[in-house]
Amino acid sequence: MRRLLAVLLVVAVSLAMAGVIKIGLFVPLSGIGADDGESALHGAMLAVKYVNDHGGVLGKKLELVYYDDQTDPKQSVSLAYKLVQKDGVVAVVSGSYSGPTRAAAGIYQRLKTPMVSAYAVHPDITKAGEYIFRVGTLATVQGRAGAHLAVEKLKAKRIALLVMDNDFGVSLANAFKAEAKKLGAEIVFEEKFAVGEKDFRTILEKVKKLDPDVIYATGYYFNASKIVTQAKELGIYQTIIGQEGYDSPLFIELSKNHAANGTVITTDLDRDSERPVVQWFMKEYEKEFGRPADMVAASAFDAVMILAKAIEIAGSTSKSAIKDALYKVSGIDSVTGFKHFTKDREAVREVVCQVIVGDRFHRFWVIDDPEIVTPGK
Amino acid sequence: MQIVINALVLGSVYVLISIGLTLIYGILRILHIAHAGIYTLGAFLGLTFYALTGNFWLALILSMVLTGIAGVGVYSYIYRRVLSKERIVPLVISIGLFIAMQDLYRLIWGAYKKPFALDLGINDIKGKGFVITQHQILILSLTGISLILLYLLMNKTKLGKAMKACADDLVMAGALGINVERVVSFAFFLGSALAALAGVLIGVYENNVYPTMGDEVSYKAFVVIVLGGFGSLSGAVVAGFILSFAETLLVAWKGFLLPRDAIAFLVMILVLMFKPEGLFRRAST
Repeated sequence: MRRLLAVLLVVAVSLAMAGVIKIGLFVPLSGIGADDGESALHGAMLAVKYVNDHGGVLGKKLELVYYDDQTDPKQSVSLAYKLVQKDGVVAVVSGSYSGPTRAAAGIYQRLKTPMVSAYAVHPDITKAGEYIFRVGTLATVQGRAGAHLAVEKLKAKRIALLVMDNDFGVSLANAFKAEAKKLGAEIVFEEKFAVGEKDFRTILEKVKKLDPDVIYATGYYFNASKIVTQAKELGIYQTIIGQEGYDSPLFIELSKNHAANGTVITTDLDRDSERPVVQWFMKEYEKEFGRPADMVAASAFDAVMILAKAIEIAGSTSKSAIKDALYKVSGIDSVTGFKHFTKDREAVREVVCQVIVGDRFHRFWVIDDPEIVTPGK
Repeated sequence: MQIVINALVLGSVYVLISIGLTLIYGILRILHIAHAGIYTLGAFLGLTFYALTGNFWLALILSMVLTGIAGVGVYSYIYRRVLSKERIVPLVISIGLFIAMQDLYRLIWGAYKKPFALDLGINDIKGKGFVITQHQILILSLTGISLILLYLLMNKTKLGKAMKACADDLVMAGALGINVERVVSFAFFLGSALAALAGVLIGVYENNVYPTMGDEVSYKAFVVIVLGGFGSLSGAVVAGFILSFAETLLVAWKGFLLPRDAIAFLVMILVLMFKPEGLFRRAST
């Protein structure tokens, strides 16, 4: 009798499961990354909704299984085992930072489960192996694009560099510096700062004396908002160039006296794009979650969209088939303009330059030269 | 000149936060880590009341009063029960409380950083080679007023003298007829209200209020009370400014050679090595 019950239970469970395909997500919902984690979660949830509203995948509905990694590599590793072995997800999206993502990438590779990193930029993540992909633009590409923006578009000859001292900031700055020099510009000033730094006045005073043509400052929206505010306070009116780390409505809100205006950034999210999926995403996100979407949300959205497409191409939920299919994904409804993966599992897309005018992000320039935007070149 | 202004502003905030910690350490010998959580509460309450009323001064006062009451609550519902235990007990409780508070704030106010946009309508003071923004003026003047009031309170009133007596010897003060309970509660109220002031001021200055804003404060303020000589109020004031000048001058001289926090701890280690009682030991202990 007991055995019969057990069999019945298994049958019932598998019948119930038959209708869904599970995708895992790990995001920081507490700790220092909690705000980005919430954006990533919301972006991924919206993508699942989008896919399910458009008929699901392989006739089944997508289901998102997500956990809080507390911005902690130890957590993301144990969550990797949990997602794969207990929840039985067929693929995973990382909506977390470089640290936790890098730690978990090795585990997913070992468990042979495809993982797509939404916005973590560390170069080593995708080196974990053939199962690990990245939707975000690699730091080297973005730094390179930033150099073209500075030298070609803004005609800068003398450039000051402010470098945030972590993986993100340093890898961007190194790529920028190499390309800017190649294009004939001169780096007249370079200074590193800690992620938590709040007072840039002393450093900006020095920059002001040197009178560079532009300032290239790597950072996240919360320290970048201080850089632009304090620069304006000190009467520095040169253009400040940022990157996707600036790409949050909070960058504008946290800057005082509208100091964010005039800043130009390289990013993945083109808010002025006419493509219907972008318009739908921007509108729906604000309606659903009560705040404007940012780059993190858009990247997580795309990561789920790419996985959905890969499962469709694979025609099954076999993990190795999904992995093979990921290399073939192209032409999807993507918010960040994702085109396809390279053989090194890095994303190819146009790099969008946005300028802040009237306290809003707007399209400034688009870089689509394959020499610049293809990772690995 | 700009450097001096920057250092003064930074030091003001360190001092405001450290006063509460110093008062509490001085009297109860508790390292009140959760004070940083109280500071965050002050910032959030200030922001919330400002959004509701549109009146900054009203919001500031409401926040200080309510945060002060919360501080008293922390004492009477939590610390008071464990005062007789070993000192590690309140310390561990304090750390746990701090973490719990941060998550509570996240649940109430959300994980996103919130701007605290305030225009006082005063003009920035611009001179040759320096600028003092309206928010810096606000911080400097409010800190100055608070310090003067605090000085008067501690030296000219009965309550202040009672606090000093309790800091010297809690049991003896009780034996001599001082209502120790009331004095300790008041110390928590005062310290927490000043932390709320610091929280609101920093929120405005950084244009930023968020659940984990107390992290940095929790260890910076600790450095200040160690430097100041564990429980000495004037010591904490001087130490706060020493720390801010050390940080700012080093950055001006060498750039961001070290993260600021490293500088703070380096100063603390040096002081502990050569003057383990802190720079300003209280005369009586």
